[in-house]
Amino acid sequence: MKEMHGLIFAYDASMRLRELTEKRAVSSIPFGGRYRVIDFMLSNMVNAGITDVGVIMRENYQSLLDHLGAGKDWDLSRKRGGLRMLPPFGFAGVRGSSYRGKMEALQNVADYINRIRQDHVVLACSDLVANLPLEDIYDHHLNSKCDITAVCGQKPVGAPENETFLVTGRKERVVDVIIGRAELGALETLGVYIISRKLLESLVSYCAAHNLHDFERDVLQAMVDRLTIGTYLFGGYAAKVSSTSTYFARSMDLLRQEVRADLFLRDRPVKTKVREEASTYYGPGSVIKNCLVADGCYVEGEVENCILFRGVRIEKGASVRNSIIMQDTHICTDAVLNFAITDKDVKVNPGRMLMGHGNYPIAISKGSAV
Amino acid sequence: MIQKKDCVAMLLAGGQGSRLYVLTSKVAKPAIPFGGKYRLIDFPLSNCINSAIDTVGVLTQYQPHELNAYIGSGQPWDLDRLEGGVHVLPPYMRGKGGQWYKGSANAIYQNINFIEHYDPEYVLVLAGDQIYKMDYSKMLAYHIQQKSTCTIAVIDVPMDEASRMGIMNANADGTVYEFEEKPKQPKSTLASMGIYIFNWRTLKKYLIEDEADPKSKNDFGGNIIPNMLNNGERLMVYRFDGYWKDVGTIHSLWEANMDMLASKENSVNLFDPNWRVYARNPTAPPHMVGPNANISHSLVTEGCQVYGNLENAVLFHSVVVEEGAQIRHSIIMPGAHIGRDAVIEYAIIAEDAQIRPGARVGAIFEPPSKPQIAVVAAGITVGTGCKVAAGALVDKDIVDEEAQS
Repeated sequence: MKEMHGLIFAYDASMRLRELTEKRAVSSIPFGGRYRVIDFMLSNMVNAGITDVGVIMRENYQSLLDHLGAGKDWDLSRKRGGLRMLPPFGFAGVRGSSYRGKMEALQNVADYINRIRQDHVVLACSDLVANLPLEDIYDHHLNSKCDITAVCGQKPVGAPENETFLVTGRKERVVDVIIGRAELGALETLGVYIISRKLLESLVSYCAAHNLHDFERDVLQAMVDRLTIGTYLFGGYAAKVSSTSTYFARSMDLLRQEVRADLFLRDRPVKTKVREEASTYYGPGSVIKNCLVADGCYVEGEVENCILFRGVRIEKGASVRNSIIMQDTHICTDAVLNFAITDKDVKVNPGRMLMGHGNYPIAISKGSAV
Repeated sequence: MIQKKDCVAMLLAGGQGSRLYVLTSKVAKPAIPFGGKYRLIDFPLSNCINSAIDTVGVLTQYQPHELNAYIGSGQPWDLDRLEGGVHVLPPYMRGKGGQWYKGSANAIYQNINFIEHYDPEYVLVLAGDQIYKMDYSKMLAYHIQQKSTCTIAVIDVPMDEASRMGIMNANADGTVYEFEEKPKQPKSTLASMGIYIFNWRTLKKYLIEDEADPKSKNDFGGNIIPNMLNNGERLMVYRFDGYWKDVGTIHSLWEANMDMLASKENSVNLFDPNWRVYARNPTAPPHMVGPNANISHSLVTEGCQVYGNLENAVLFHSVVVEEGAQIRHSIIMPGAHIGRDAVIEYAIIAEDAQIRPGARVGAIFEPPSKPQIAVVAAGITVGTGCKVAAGALVDKDIVDEEAQS
């Protein structure tokens, strides 16, 4: 099972995430109490026996670099292979701020692709929250003898305008590719593809030569008649974070037992950067109901339907409901929060009230004091 | 060419911990889970790295597998180094055959070559079963400043406890004139913490002499320290006044865990960002607290699922507490499962034990008597509706509704 190589596209900075992506790429958004979104894809790869992973980044990647380090926490700090960061070259003539598509991103790391030692490559987005059985998907890909296998979800995952949908015909082969519009009977891709290294190399050089930069549009859609594209249907929980409100809703999904059972599997654990923390302490007067809580918190107030990240402090008399409280946030006494997202290191002073709504949660930027 | 190290730490982790009974039948004492996220050995190891000591030998011989696996490369404590780092040192064979570690001094004697490899000026000798935070670099500075041959960390204990400990009788200037093991009439209340700093050259001489003496028990407290005193070496006490607990018994292990719930002043502050206690972490998601749970004055960590009630409880990772279960004044070790409506009071439930629905383990005690701590050993099942009496030690499955005492 050492025949796959992982490539993660971690360059996408979505503007729809407002405050959450002011200082970081989507892939390093904190999620689920102790994770960054990219942890799920990295863990998927490592759990499938992948030992070599390249992470393509473009902008706002300081927080991502800080999170990934040498890859030790995913067991990817190796003499041969392991985790490789692929930031942009600073050459003249770089257009715009982000890559225009996956093919352009791949062209930029063409040297790296040419040195991949495995025969197959998993191309994956970094903003998918799912625990994928990549080993099974790989077997499925080999057995189907397709050129490309696209992993598809059974239920809607992202915002349709951002997603790609596949229409399949005989033998589950893709016959049409629809971009940005959901259509009855079409399967939504999860942005995870398996392809042989050789085909990938030639597609990258072909696209470079023809000034094509989009994978979905210029490869999947344009070449649907020339390539055999297969699908793998994934039935487990999958989510994409595309806006503040979907971030909020997908986070709150974790309070459901069946969602946690799909994401946190004993034999495919989600790995993340270890932060040395004590256990969470609940004080004598604390009230805590229906919450997902990471380590290192100090809870003395009332908390209900919340996700608490590491090192959060909730003082006596504070009341926090339906909120996502990120790392090291300090909620002082008698503060009231409802439908709020507080980013890292936020301080909510005594008696402050923050009220959002389920469809439009209030997001407080990293490091601010209320 | 080996880089010279100023100070090498030697951690004595070979003890069986027989007074912990069923808890140490399969693991060495230093590997016992403690305080929600740790094992006992995390405290001295973290103290070492926080005191800038980066070369540590861990002397093991009793049930070492779990301890060896836990220490691994030393990465969690930042002790995976090109030079130095943490080394597990079991007894080994040599020219004329090998032997087990006969005593604490013999364990160091058998590893003279390990220490010489780093050519240190000083050797720090530590125990693997104590809960405390101590800056060894300050103790070393004191040792150097006092031109001491051996500096012994001591803690002031109440008079009634002094007769159960090794007592250092010292002059006003801190020089030791006598060492008494468990004196009936203590002359002082300065108890040895089992933490020593030696000048390596002098210690080496004493270790070799001690080994040549067939009557010796090869023990630091019993032999090396008295020999040094008899020869007029300069021994100093170094007073420590923070939290310190030796966890040699079931009761002291339980009590030390309960201390973790006390105010920061009365225990080891685990939340201090400047003096972290490091541990090897499991890969588990954040813990889930259910809609009908009640949690008060408790520690809960990753991987737990709490749907029942906790009061004065310390939960380790991946513990499940089902709805209606009640846990009071108890320690639940990794992976244990507490069934619906079970009641756990004044108990230690070891790793992966299964407490079935409606079972009762332990009982509330009436002050002023000391609480009797019930213990359910690792992997043991206590059946539906079964009862385990206060203070009972359970190391066999209880399947039917039969009381055990």
